Amino acid sequence: MVIDLRRCIGCHSCSVACKAENRVPLGVFRSWVKIIEKGRYPNITRHFLPSLCNQCDYPPCVINCPVQATWKQEDGIVIIDEHRCIGCKYCLATCPYNARYINPLIPIVQKCYFCRHRVYAGLEPACVEVCPARARIFGDLNNPEEEVTKLISKLPFQTLKPEMGTFPQVYYIAADSDAMDPFAGRKEWT
Amino acid sequence: MDVSIIYNVEHEISLGIPIATYFYLTGLSAGSFIISTFAYGFGMTKFKPLGKIGVIMATLLLVIAPMILLIDLEQPLRFWHLILYLRITSPITWGTFLLTLYPMNCIVYGYFMFKGDMRRTKIFGLIGIPLALMVHGYTGFILALGKARILWNTAIMPPIFLVSAMVSGLAMMILVVIIKNYIIQREKEHDPTLLYDLGKFLVASIVLDLILIGTDLTVLLTSHTEAYMAALMLLKGEFSHLFLGVEVLLGAIIPLILLLLPFTKRWIPGLVIASILVMIGIFAMRYIMVVGGMSIPLS
Repeated sequence: MVIDLRRCIGCHSCSVACKAENRVPLGVFRSWVKIIEKGRYPNITRHFLPSLCNQCDYPPCVINCPVQATWKQEDGIVIIDEHRCIGCKYCLATCPYNARYINPLIPIVQKCYFCRHRVYAGLEPACVEVCPARARIFGDLNNPEEEVTKLISKLPFQTLKPEMGTFPQVYYIAADSDAMDPFAGRKEWT
Repeated sequence: MDVSIIYNVEHEISLGIPIATYFYLTGLSAGSFIISTFAYGFGMTKFKPLGKIGVIMATLLLVIAPMILLIDLEQPLRFWHLILYLRITSPITWGTFLLTLYPMNCIVYGYFMFKGDMRRTKIFGLIGIPLALMVHGYTGFILALGKARILWNTAIMPPIFLVSAMVSGLAMMILVVIIKNYIIQREKEHDPTLLYDLGKFLVASIVLDLILIGTDLTVLLTSHTEAYMAALMLLKGEFSHLFLGVEVLLGAIIPLILLLLPFTKRWIPGLVIASILVMIGIFAMRYIMVVGGMSIPLS
């Protein structure tokens, strides 16, 4: 998935669509938009960072799951077997992107899986479908004809925490480094 | 530049006090097992009175500890998945086997010790030492391999856990011996040199623990931004009272003073205070590691 932040307007439609599509309970999120404000009047801007599971190529959650309840599929999506998961919460502790959560209604771990059910039916993930600014683009990065491949071939892009060696598969175009930094803007940490 | 976060999502801290308690109890168990093998595995006869208490404490604690893990699972009834669907790259899978083998070995070792079969006791004692080291070392790996958390993801985590296990195990043994000698069997005469020897071991392991903590902090302070933030969290942030006050001062410095000063090191109430403080300090260390490590923001 490519998220083009030149287009993002910070409307939270993706968060809402994800909640509705995947019946995500109150208090937890599979996808959300982090918003920061920076600068001093009159030179001030807002920056957005839509966050979701990065479907890493080397996912720490998969390496550390003790019961093989989560794995990376051939198509690249990292999924969770909800009947296998014992809820040890170790994957929550090892995910560098805060992407996983415990479902408060059925106590198992859940996360974004690129709306696998929609993709297999030939549709786009709910967040992509609903984005009014077409900031989210979904596709197969192995196919050179896809829009995602063209975008990241031509434009400079960023990924979140590349130093973790996870090879995240959500690419951001024109992301702000303060929005990507977990510590920026936290008064208690600086 | 002025940056303020308008909206963000943080999921709740998933591993908490139960996991810290579990690490604490396995540490105590590994420590007391190793002390128990001083006499029966390595032939240091002056520690013979500790052999039986040590193995009983080790077994009991290691029966309680995995129970806490089971309670902490969101789906405790699916615990058998751990044995059926193991994944060898996960330290929890290593723990599945270690937490099964180690108590079994403890029971066999204790059985031969109580029967008086010294040769077999020695064999199972020596088998038990690597198991005890691994059963606690793997808990260090659980944290060290959680690479999202900077406070955990360091190669020094397993050694710190082993040394602090030894510290808390020795302190618990001192308390157990004092309770046995001065409360349960107070009619009999007891030789206090055993306690003084344990005190010397305690001093050595506290010093080693402090060195390792210092090493960890030094590297955190000079490493990348996130590591620096984690070090600041320990030194002047949210966990500074717990870290500097309880873990370092109460849990290490004051016991060291009590155990080293000439007029308190042979004073039994001083030993009691030092041991209790050490045990509190090590629990604080487990708590800071687990909860403090999880509290560093990721998004």
